[in-house]
Amino acid sequence: MITMLLAAALCSAAPKDTTVRLDAVTVTGLQRRDYLMRTSQSAVQVSSEFLNQNFAGSLMQTLESLPGVKAMAIGSGQSKPVIRGMGFNRLVVSEDGIKHEGQQWGDDHGLEIDQFAVDRAEVIKGPAALLYGSDAIGGVLNLYTNHVPAEPLKGSVQVFGRTNNEQIGLSAKVGGRSGGFFYRANVTLIDYADFRVPTDSIQYYSYWIKLKDRRLRNTAGLEHDGSVMLGYQGYNFHTDVRISDSYLKSGFFANAHGLEVRLSDIDYDRSRRDVDLPYQWVNHLKVLSHTTWRNDVLSAELNLAYQNNVREELSEPVSHGYMPKPDGTLERRFNKNTYTAAFLLRYELGRHSLQGGVNGELQHNRRDGWGFIIPDFETGSVGGFVLDRFTLRENLILNAGLRFDYAHTHIHSYQDWFATPVGGTAVYQQRSADLRRNFTSFTWSAGINYSLGQWVMKANVGKAFRVPIPKELGTDGINYHIFRYERGNAQLDPEESYQLDISVNWANGTWEIGVEPYLNYFPNYIFLTPTAQYVEGLQLYNYTQARVLRFGMEAQVTCRLSDRWHLHAQGEYLYARQKSGEKKGYALPFSMPWSADAGVKYYFDKRAEGFIGFNARIVGRQDEIVPPEKPTDGYWTLNLSGAKKFQLNGSITLNVALHADNLLNRRYYNHTSYYRLIDVPEPGRNIALKVGMEF
Amino acid sequence: MKKNITLLSLLCALCACNSSDEKESKDMTPPVISDTGITANPIECQEYRPGDVIHFQYVFTDDVELGNYNIEIHNNFDHHTHSGSAVDCELEAKKEAGEKAWVYNQDFAIPAGQRTYTAHVDIQIPDDAETGNYHFMVRLTDRTGWQQLKGIAIKLK
Repeated sequence: MITMLLAAALCSAAPKDTTVRLDAVTVTGLQRRDYLMRTSQSAVQVSSEFLNQNFAGSLMQTLESLPGVKAMAIGSGQSKPVIRGMGFNRLVVSEDGIKHEGQQWGDDHGLEIDQFAVDRAEVIKGPAALLYGSDAIGGVLNLYTNHVPAEPLKGSVQVFGRTNNEQIGLSAKVGGRSGGFFYRANVTLIDYADFRVPTDSIQYYSYWIKLKDRRLRNTAGLEHDGSVMLGYQGYNFHTDVRISDSYLKSGFFANAHGLEVRLSDIDYDRSRRDVDLPYQWVNHLKVLSHTTWRNDVLSAELNLAYQNNVREELSEPVSHGYMPKPDGTLERRFNKNTYTAAFLLRYELGRHSLQGGVNGELQHNRRDGWGFIIPDFETGSVGGFVLDRFTLRENLILNAGLRFDYAHTHIHSYQDWFATPVGGTAVYQQRSADLRRNFTSFTWSAGINYSLGQWVMKANVGKAFRVPIPKELGTDGINYHIFRYERGNAQLDPEESYQLDISVNWANGTWEIGVEPYLNYFPNYIFLTPTAQYVEGLQLYNYTQARVLRFGMEAQVTCRLSDRWHLHAQGEYLYARQKSGEKKGYALPFSMPWSADAGVKYYFDKRAEGFIGFNARIVGRQDEIVPPEKPTDGYWTLNLSGAKKFQLNGSITLNVALHADNLLNRRYYNHTSYYRLIDVPEPGRNIALKVGMEF
Repeated sequence: MKKNITLLSLLCALCACNSSDEKESKDMTPPVISDTGITANPIECQEYRPGDVIHFQYVFTDDVELGNYNIEIHNNFDHHTHSGSAVDCELEAKKEAGEKAWVYNQDFAIPAGQRTYTAHVDIQIPDDAETGNYHFMVRLTDRTGWQQLKGIAIKLK
């Protein structure tokens, strides 16, 4: 599998404007070394070939096969990315270099990007504040949708499905080039039914919930995406504009949403494909513009973007406590606009490669609905960096950089729309106070790449940061999703993280071995912790900051027994401890347990255009818990994957990819899943199939 | 290869150090709501009349230190929940809650340093409270923030 990754890496390292098809099996040691020497950080590049051949149902599930990357299931068969245990606002998801801005703090908010429009991806593990600014603590998931077509007309149609939630989908792409001008367009349609779990009932909040046909009621949904891109590419000038829109609608598990475990009048079991209340819909509109100009020594790049993210969560209105029954079903609505601008300069000066840039971002968020969770806010930030990459010798490269950021957050006050009796008088309680905060951060990074014979060694040390989000600063109310009262802390400082990454790789013709340990320290990790107190009948959770130490590693080994048979094993481990505060001595919430994979792949031919493979995944038991978590047992699953490419007449190719997860239909819990807290097991046997035609 | 082994052993050493200095007792168990040694009140399916007093009585225990508790009563006129216990109480016909549907929600503190605490609270049911099915919820925390819940179905006749 690592071979595929390397092939992927090399493929994407090729110039953007040419179509390169690399033979995955014959990657030479030299090419591999060149890629590893490109950055002192742990990074993995993933080509469209890899994405195609390893289709596992969704982009995040495909990427989950990379060591250190996890997909956090959020229900409805959707998932959000986690790198080395860091998710939510502790990693950056970027599309064509622009940070994706949705409501990524939310437990049940997914990627909101058309995964079938993605040409290639890159995962950076570790701090990447220098280039990405706030949030790039755990790492960066870069998605690229900007491949420039080389031919007058090229396209593809893919149909795909998976058995577990009876998902069916269609995605079509078309693109072409005439002279310097090019265009691309794509459309994706997905529809899925309620997802199935290997259990007849679940226990939640002291109630038993019986499931019909082992399906989670009302987790069906749909997704409609589309994009258009126009551009010009000349000898040293390139410009393009891409407009994309992504619409998703999905139901919430009807028995475990809202204030109480509800027995609604809605007949959820009527159909497994319809979406009833409660549900959410999200629309993400994005306009991206990229312009670059370059000559032999200098290149300049200007990126501009506008993003609009509208999300609504709707549920049956009910009275609760002092809140009367609201009018209408609109529980929550967020409308967030984000404006981004970035300017980059690169200059080649002898053995120095210098880079500098400035970027700024404005966000404007408005809320609506009868449920309060985050206040209205505006944020603005601006940052600048310089970076030098110094090639001392052909096999020894040093790099160092500095960055400064300034951010301003303005949170609006919010009062309940209903009165609560306090000491005999009716009071419209204030849930969020008007707040203005300024934050500054100074970050840096330094690294070294060294290669000797069959060894490549890398080390990187860096500081990253994260500006506290408005929810952390200003929330003060009941979280209607998980039955608790959450209170923000207006005094929070920017979260800072220091990390040392080391990467050691060794390879000969048959063996490839890689080990990537890291050590990470937070002087002020921000997290939500339960207290002994009650507020309005629900347990109070406070945002606090504590010192946190984390370390871990990923290791992998590949053995090419022959051109056809490949063996692969990989594993990862992460340790986390709170070193101060009320929960000193505890781990962090959602700590991932150790895991290991072992697999064998058989290639049908030397050109690696088809394979079949078996893989066993073993995950350890997790006893490192924080209230209100429960320990989670270990488990193992057996999985199968295969892909084959068929050359039809002329330039038409047919690709088939098959992925079967949990072949033995075992019942297990994933400690890092959103559904773990409500005792929902992971999906049972699931077969994903994709058939694509390229012309 | 040697380097890998060195690194691995370094990491292992680091793990070892860390686990040894944290053998300090971490509270890993939630508190318990029980009827040990007392007559618990209210119990599942218990019936009251408007104007009655509910003599709430339960025993709270924790292995380290108890936190606080909360009692919340709300109507179940729309049959919104299944009971968690083995017995299913008889439910009256579904209806919309009126003006006088009873709402009770009160937080209580437990004196510091307690591992066992018998809670007694007298809860006055308003004379004009609307009759029907209600839920009586008890929530209990310990000092660390673990929580225990108990839901009891009661009826106003």
